Amino acid sequence: MIGEEHTALETIDLLLRDRTRMLLALRGDRDVMPVLRTMVATIAICMAIVGAALGTYRGGAQIGYAAIKLPLVLLGTAALSAPALTAIGLALGRRARFAHDLALVLSALAFGALLLAACTPLILLGRSIDLDYHRMILATVGMFAIAGIAALRMIAVGLAGEHAVGWRAAFTGLCIVFVVVGGQLSWALRPYLARPRAQDVPFVREVEGSLFDSVTQAFDSARGIYTRGEAPLPSRSAP
Amino acid sequence: MSVAIEPEPAPLPRAAGLALAALAPAAIGGILASHFEAIPPVAVTPAIVLGVIAATSPALYIALAATGEAPRVPAVARAIAVALAAFGIALCGFVLPATFLALTSITDATPIAMATIALGGAALLGMRRLARELALSSLSAWLVFAVWSIATLGIAGRLWWDLTRELLP
Repeated sequence: MIGEEHTALETIDLLLRDRTRMLLALRGDRDVMPVLRTMVATIAICMAIVGAALGTYRGGAQIGYAAIKLPLVLLGTAALSAPALTAIGLALGRRARFAHDLALVLSALAFGALLLAACTPLILLGRSIDLDYHRMILATVGMFAIAGIAALRMIAVGLAGEHAVGWRAAFTGLCIVFVVVGGQLSWALRPYLARPRAQDVPFVREVEGSLFDSVTQAFDSARGIYTRGEAPLPSRSAP
Repeated sequence: MSVAIEPEPAPLPRAAGLALAALAPAAIGGILASHFEAIPPVAVTPAIVLGVIAATSPALYIALAATGEAPRVPAVARAIAVALAAFGIALCGFVLPATFLALTSITDATPIAMATIALGGAALLGMRRLARELALSSLSAWLVFAVWSIATLGIAGRLWWDLTRELLP
């Protein structure tokens, strides 16, 4: 089974080719530590590649910055979200298996990261044909959305296969926590894709509040409630 | 008799479950306490949870008994203890994300929203576990449980609203 008969590369190959077998192996009582190590390394390497590819849009230091930050976003989101899956499941009568839940979440994210890594030629193509910044953003969002849906689907299939009490609630809870935490973590560590004309690119932007603060502010603005004197002019705004 | 013959195992030993049901809301209260630099939420949040359950659970027993779905008092007490433990465990799972989201926010609304969502989500999971533990079978019993749940969540929600309103400048 996984972790005993497979090397790291074989485990990744299994993840890509036969996820049903992969999920079956994660469902058992075997030691999942080798899987955890492999999946963390897969996410770190794949997302570093994707980050570096996104960084080439601006070039220079941004390549390294994005290569460091994107793996942190995904691994941080997994670390903050997986306990919720275990806790909700345990609350509803599911067996408590934190290491196995973490392995499931990390495997699904590794699958998503591998899909994104497969998209890097498209990112580089966008750079090479000087694709407009906003179109590049939209294309990136599309790629991440596809990878995210694939990862969540894998988690759903993995949980459904357990036939445990409350798996739907556990999955719903995980999705909510995952989207909220992932959104906020990626917001806090932005930018990843910077305009080529940007003079200086910070590793992370100054704290401007959370994604939800921003959404709240947008709602207020839509209702005519403004918290600042004027919108920043393009020449004064951050690139 | 409406109590399940073979109830699912409790998520934790009873004492540990009840301790978690008090500590997890205290941790959520701590999120507000750190943001607003006010200690009361740490004590008031668990007080709201445990106080409201203590105040309303006899009503649940009486109403269920009146409908003919009359679980024995120890069975109802066990079900409530299991549901409280489930609430505490679920809330523990939400503490880390809620803390992260509150700490990375600069507005007053976000920590309150995160704490409210965490408490509300855990409360719904606790209610679901309570319904399962009580093994409600008849429509009238479900109706009683639904009304009780709405009333309990409503009372707790009102007290929580009052607490957060006092924190806001």
